[in-house]
Amino acid sequence: MAVIRSNHRIAAGVYRMTVSGVPLGRAGQFFMLRVSGVLDPLLGRPISIFGADAGTGETTFVYQTPGRGTALFADLLPGQAIDAQGPYGNGFPLESGGAVILGGGIGVAPLHQLAKELRASDPKRRIDVFLGFREEAYCVADFEQLSDSVTVSVGGIVTNDVDFSENAVYYACGPAPMLHTAAEQARAANARFFVSLEKHMACGVGACLGCTCETTNGRKRVCKDGPVFEYSEVQHVL
Amino acid sequence: MSYNPLSLELCGVSLKNPVIAASGTFGFGREYAERMEVSRLGGICGKGLTLRGSAGNAGERVYETRSSMLNSIGLENPGVKHFVEHEAAFMRSLGPAVIANLGGHSEADYLEGAELLNEADIDLLELNISCPNVKAGGMAFGILPETAADITRRVKAISRHPLMVKLSPNAPDLTAVARACEEAGADALSLVNTFLGMAIDVKRRRPVFDNVYAGLSGPAIFPLALRMVHQVCKSVSIPVVGMGGIASAEDAIRMILAGARAVQVGTMTFASPNTLLEIIDGLSAWCAKERISNLQEICGII
Repeated sequence: MAVIRSNHRIAAGVYRMTVSGVPLGRAGQFFMLRVSGVLDPLLGRPISIFGADAGTGETTFVYQTPGRGTALFADLLPGQAIDAQGPYGNGFPLESGGAVILGGGIGVAPLHQLAKELRASDPKRRIDVFLGFREEAYCVADFEQLSDSVTVSVGGIVTNDVDFSENAVYYACGPAPMLHTAAEQARAANARFFVSLEKHMACGVGACLGCTCETTNGRKRVCKDGPVFEYSEVQHVL
Repeated sequence: MSYNPLSLELCGVSLKNPVIAASGTFGFGREYAERMEVSRLGGICGKGLTLRGSAGNAGERVYETRSSMLNSIGLENPGVKHFVEHEAAFMRSLGPAVIANLGGHSEADYLEGAELLNEADIDLLELNISCPNVKAGGMAFGILPETAADITRRVKAISRHPLMVKLSPNAPDLTAVARACEEAGADALSLVNTFLGMAIDVKRRRPVFDNVYAGLSGPAIFPLALRMVHQVCKSVSIPVVGMGGIASAEDAIRMILAGARAVQVGTMTFASPNTLLEIIDGLSAWCAKERISNLQEICGII
């Protein structure tokens, strides 16, 4: 059981919650968050790690409230408990060399921890960040502390800003159309490109088979075998 | 060693407690073995198998509804042979009783599958004639007493394992199906599988699932499942394993009071993986508080 340290709104329908009392996860991993004891809504919500702080032992989530389940999270106050199962999933690989990070909407959340880990594993590497939002930008300052450049697009098409022919490894998380376009550009440029996928899931651990997707390497569970995949493996589901 | 008030015998198999992980919610035990003390469970019922395996259904597969969920997994599974060669021994190593769940698309599939499972070290065979998510077969076998009895009789004739038939709540006359399976030689019955339900995406004005209909499970169905378990327990004399929306030790006790020997818990494991262990602890505490020397004493007293 996690204890909420802080939980506040950072943009319209977007919240930032810090908890203690859960094992620290890695960039790209997620927790199943659920209000303890509540049967409606029933299932946990997969929420990725925005930040895992080894110093304080605290984990931060940035989450959106599109439905009733996440809306209940927004009402929780510091000191209250939340059921947090995890960390689950494989996480992003930390490849050597320069990195280009591409986030769309709430998909920016796991990329923040990724930027942190990339910076920590090689302080000299170049990190360029491209963030796209529909109406309102958030978390931009968090990325600015960790990267060499941050390009923000509000209401535009963020993939238009990205050149996939750089000598770098590309990482993305965001809405399906964005990932689809990015994957096409990555293929044209023959880039190394990792994507984090999202699918409806019930358990988060690979038992329910609700999030199975066909890949070039057979059936994979987004929750357990992913959520991070090399784009070429999952291109036809992007 | 002190006496265990939760111990029971089911079809000649000793269970340390009546709490079993339900088929389709626990894989073959691997995923949860990494995260909880699965050895404490009474039993584990493996993911539903079909003879040649299946990729499962396309499109959305899970959809949350009020205190419940719909699923349309479509029996994604690696096939009976894979289970016999790669999963059965692992399940045995976990400690709880091992139950294999077998579905089928045709009578020949069921029989060949049951034959292959004779090679596996399992405690019970749960015959799945109640999966609502596969078009040919599955639930079709479990809707009418005649077809249910026929497949039960044929599988019973060739299987070396005790046979538990898993019933569908979607049968028009459930107690008739239950009696027919008993007469055909079933050693036990388990019920209920999921209720056929539906979800519609208003924005797209389309059904959520490619198959249109899907299986409803979770706490919302508990009163329906309890009633059906009670009715079936009044109609047959073979053991019944109750399931359907169990979310707490109290729910498990209700099932046992209604006549179930043991219970299976499924959807709540997705929501809260510790539910199975919390139910076991809750049953122990209840027996101590009520000064019950064995939980089976209250089985079917309602």
